[in-house]
Amino acid sequence: MAPEAKAHDAQTHDAKPHDANPHDANPMKPEEVLRLIAAQRGTAICVPTMTTGPEWRAIAPDDLSVGCVGFMGGASSLGLGLALARPDRRVLVLDGDGSLLMQLGSLATIAGAAPRNLVHFLFKNGVYHTSGAQGIPGGLVVDFVTMARGAGYRAALAVHDVEDFKKQLPEILKMEGPVFVELHTGLAAQTPMTARGGVPFPEQVTKLRAKLLRPRATT
Amino acid sequence: MPESIPASLIIDTLKDTFREARKELAAEVAEPPQHSHLGWILSVPDTHQKTVLAALDKEEQIRVLTCATEDEAATIAGGLYIGGEPVVLMIQHAGLYASVNTLRGVAMDGRIPTFYMIGLLSREKDKAPRESRHSMVRYCEPLLDTFGIPHATLEGPDDVHYIPEYYRLSRQRKGPAVVLVGLETA
Repeated sequence: MAPEAKAHDAQTHDAKPHDANPHDANPMKPEEVLRLIAAQRGTAICVPTMTTGPEWRAIAPDDLSVGCVGFMGGASSLGLGLALARPDRRVLVLDGDGSLLMQLGSLATIAGAAPRNLVHFLFKNGVYHTSGAQGIPGGLVVDFVTMARGAGYRAALAVHDVEDFKKQLPEILKMEGPVFVELHTGLAAQTPMTARGGVPFPEQVTKLRAKLLRPRATT
Repeated sequence: MPESIPASLIIDTLKDTFREARKELAAEVAEPPQHSHLGWILSVPDTHQKTVLAALDKEEQIRVLTCATEDEAATIAGGLYIGGEPVVLMIQHAGLYASVNTLRGVAMDGRIPTFYMIGLLSREKDKAPRESRHSMVRYCEPLLDTFGIPHATLEGPDDVHYIPEYYRLSRQRKGPAVVLVGLETA
């Protein structure tokens, strides 16, 4: 069965805010999911944000990544710009649910631009983990898969189980984008508040640009 | 004061600006992006620049992406810049106010060259923008000054030279630069 045709469990609309999906009794560990993505991303450009940031830094410390730091909600748009500029490469956005809600319209903008090389992973945990784990509006009931489909992504699916993710990831990374993958995860061990540091955003920009364009002075 | 600025004049100026940007990038880097288009307009539709936006729909050399918000537009511009693409944002003053945090985080703190054309909807022809009775017009220049963002205002067709000048300025300063569109395009 094609990934887009499976795994999307529609939420009931009368569910109470913050009700967890039954599948989420044992949510995936975000670190484990990130390690699987890192192992298979090849030369893809990656855009982590918020709680995917610290672990991604540890897994892929010097690579084709740029973290969305200092403008929460921007990962999907930053990824879109990169995908449009570099259609020769895959772009993987490692977004959060609270973050995406801040620029929810980007779902429609991405779908409208229709970059074939963009995969939009959403780490769904129902809270603003970095600021103290306050619940996001709607909590886990918010159905981002339906939103992405409604916006016009070519494919959208939810994954609740890490073994299922392992099986589906190779196919997901080959699918024609834009693809949306809602990953039902627990809380990361670290957040940008507990694991400060890393390369400042402007330096990340300069480094990634240099890797993509290769300034003549360094060739 | 002239009544308007021809859309065709602005579009020709944008094309020249993009050509210059691509030429400069090709001289600087070994692997500039290879596209058939000249550059990108990221727009959240602006009443003042509506004839430009309408004319751009028929342009094959310029890609136009309509964004849902100015936050998105500024952030997408950042991604395009990293990938080597020339970009111009076309928004209106209300959108500038709505997206100040992204302007700060992406263009200023991120040191990403970001060139804006911002329409001053409701600007009175007989008044300087700072003296407008409309707060959305009146606060625009002071806001840009507060953030230290260089800006100039198009007051007629003779001012379109500001477009390549402030585009270059955004590259030189590695940050935002703004051309305010002080009258309607035609």
